[in-house]
Amino acid sequence: MKNLFRAAACAAVTALALTACGGASSTDPSNVSPTGEIKPREISWLLSRPADGAVINIMKKLADDYAKDHPGFELNLITTPDRPSYIQKLETLAAANKLPELFDTDATPFAQELAKQGKMVDAEKLLKSLNVYDDYRPGALDYQRFDDGSLYMIPFQFELEFIWYNKALLQKAGVAVPTSLDDIPAMCTALRSAGVTPIAIDGQDQWPLERYVAYQPFREAGPDFVQKLKKGEAKFSDPVGQKTVNWMAELGKAKCFQDGFSAQGYSDAQNQFTSGQAAMYNIGTWELPSLATEKLDPAVRNDIDFFTLPTTANSVTAANEFVSPSGIGMAVNAKTYDPLVSDFLKFALEKYPAEYAATGALSPTTDVETVVPANATPLYRKALDQADSLGSKQAMPWDTQLDPTTNGRLQQELVLLVQGNITPEQFTETMDKTIAQNAPKFFK
Amino acid sequence: MLPNRSRTSVLVFLLPPLLLYSAAVLFPILQSLFLSFFSWNGISDMEFVGLDNYIRMFATDDIFWRAFLNALVYLAICLVLQLGGALAVASLLTSLRRGRELVKTLYLLPAVISTVAIAFLFVRIYSLEPVGLLNQLFHWVGLDSLERPWLSDVNTVLAAVSAPEGWRFTGLYMLIIYAALLAVPKELEEAAVLDGASRWTLFTKIRFPYIRPVWITTTIMATTYGLRGFDIPYLMTNGGPGQSSELLTTYMYKTAFTSTDFGYASTISVFIVVECLVAVGLILFLLKRKADS
Repeated sequence: MKNLFRAAACAAVTALALTACGGASSTDPSNVSPTGEIKPREISWLLSRPADGAVINIMKKLADDYAKDHPGFELNLITTPDRPSYIQKLETLAAANKLPELFDTDATPFAQELAKQGKMVDAEKLLKSLNVYDDYRPGALDYQRFDDGSLYMIPFQFELEFIWYNKALLQKAGVAVPTSLDDIPAMCTALRSAGVTPIAIDGQDQWPLERYVAYQPFREAGPDFVQKLKKGEAKFSDPVGQKTVNWMAELGKAKCFQDGFSAQGYSDAQNQFTSGQAAMYNIGTWELPSLATEKLDPAVRNDIDFFTLPTTANSVTAANEFVSPSGIGMAVNAKTYDPLVSDFLKFALEKYPAEYAATGALSPTTDVETVVPANATPLYRKALDQADSLGSKQAMPWDTQLDPTTNGRLQQELVLLVQGNITPEQFTETMDKTIAQNAPKFFK
Repeated sequence: MLPNRSRTSVLVFLLPPLLLYSAAVLFPILQSLFLSFFSWNGISDMEFVGLDNYIRMFATDDIFWRAFLNALVYLAICLVLQLGGALAVASLLTSLRRGRELVKTLYLLPAVISTVAIAFLFVRIYSLEPVGLLNQLFHWVGLDSLERPWLSDVNTVLAAVSAPEGWRFTGLYMLIIYAALLAVPKELEEAAVLDGASRWTLFTKIRFPYIRPVWITTTIMATTYGLRGFDIPYLMTNGGPGQSSELLTTYMYKTAFTSTDFGYASTISVFIVVECLVAVGLILFLLKRKADS
């Protein structure tokens, strides 16, 4: 029995050692123009996008077109739209050194670690080598960059996040569109008094509430605050941090979000707003088909409008600077990058923007014009036009910036803070302690 | 006693399942034990940290202790619902003259529904906005003060996520206990009735002692299943709000796959294995002591 136990222990050690050792790749991530023969085969793209969404449909079509001239080529799209499940899949595959040719990732600390290990192709060099780099919106590329400015992900979208509101409900409560972030708690109180749910939010997915914590610091201290906070160089106990903590607590006290929001999902929030039960809804242009077309319930269609992120009295960022993400990016696996992958990307990236703009979405590039759908309301065009007057700074979603443990704890504590289960002091103490414990491991 | 040749056959046939069990259960446990002494994010080099993960878990991690206490409460609620409910229903079934099969089927039905469906179903049942079945029921009977967002309220969420798990397996344990109750000799019960035993005495002095071995087995099954409870709480609340419904299993999973701290997650998983073994040992010890007395 002793011998059997010893053998199993040795096997475990060996297996782990092998897994751990199988990490490094010998490929050069900066070699974006591999030479040699193009040998068609099946390549895979591990992605976290809606299965019937525009990106996937277009890439499928482009892959089919490419396969016509390259028999044997196939693009295998492996999609997991649920982001937490996707991240787990990605991390497990990365740990096993089994990442496919293409994979989606945000510019997270984990992705930066992959890039540092030479597992991702340098996207800036790749786009430049394909002569498409200058076509991209600077904001779309900046969203994908790591802190050091390096670029390892290619954007496939460009979105603007607004606060959509129902004019009739604001009128019913006797409130106007807020001119400052600081007006929102009082606005919520007035809406509640009028029997209206102020803000519909998807609490289940946690990132929508995390957006709010990013707003005050972005206005008060600019995009640098989160860069410092995540490394422990700034704290929630700093004046800027305290302003956002207290503001979040005020939003909670004013009952800004629907009752029981933490267990409500994406469609619940959308339904509440589009059925005229909630006055506001903070979401991006990816929901334009639901919010600015004739699909929208006629009873509320003419009452819907949007405003961009309000500023504050001492705002260091301008009104035209807010959250403008380019979605999850696509990374290219350096280990499997070869003439075929390179050639297919060249083919696809040249054709993609026009196809994408034709679906009514904002392209990450500026060389194409978005086609407004026939059933769009005037709001559709108004929303798209905001992309032309964006400022140079953008508010980064914190869930892509913080280390995963801090991010998870922040999402949990925010709910407690907004529900009034903990005080701003408790929140501050917990979060500063969490960052101090976890940031050094990720941002050495 | 089997002849030598038969014994060899038995050993030969036992070997494949033993190998399978070793590969699927023992090896991962050993692997977790090994990993628990390391700090590893899955992609960088593993760093040996000795007992640091264990010190962190026992001495400084407030979420770990919160999850541990939550897991015990979750277990208690599940056991009461599963075993208590199963025993009550099975006892009542033995007295039922018609429609037994229908009742059995209805009680067993939740055990065959997928976990994801159950989780979504109960999210709807507990919802306040839009109003779900539970809050609607309170409203109809005039208990408006009890209406609340059950999954968002830190005081109710743990019970709310435990109930579906208890509800789900009551039917399964009911079937096992019901089968055991059917095996109780009728002569014994009739003799006791002739001696004037009440229904309660009949149950406590004859039926329950007779089914005790089956009861021990179901208790062990329910306890280990309860300690491993993961899917329903994870799908319904993801451990929240805050850490109000965080269990050791959900915390271990998130530590591994969200925080990419595979070393520390392994430490928690080692604790879960030890916890299950201790729980089973404790049940056997307590029930044996009671039987002896």
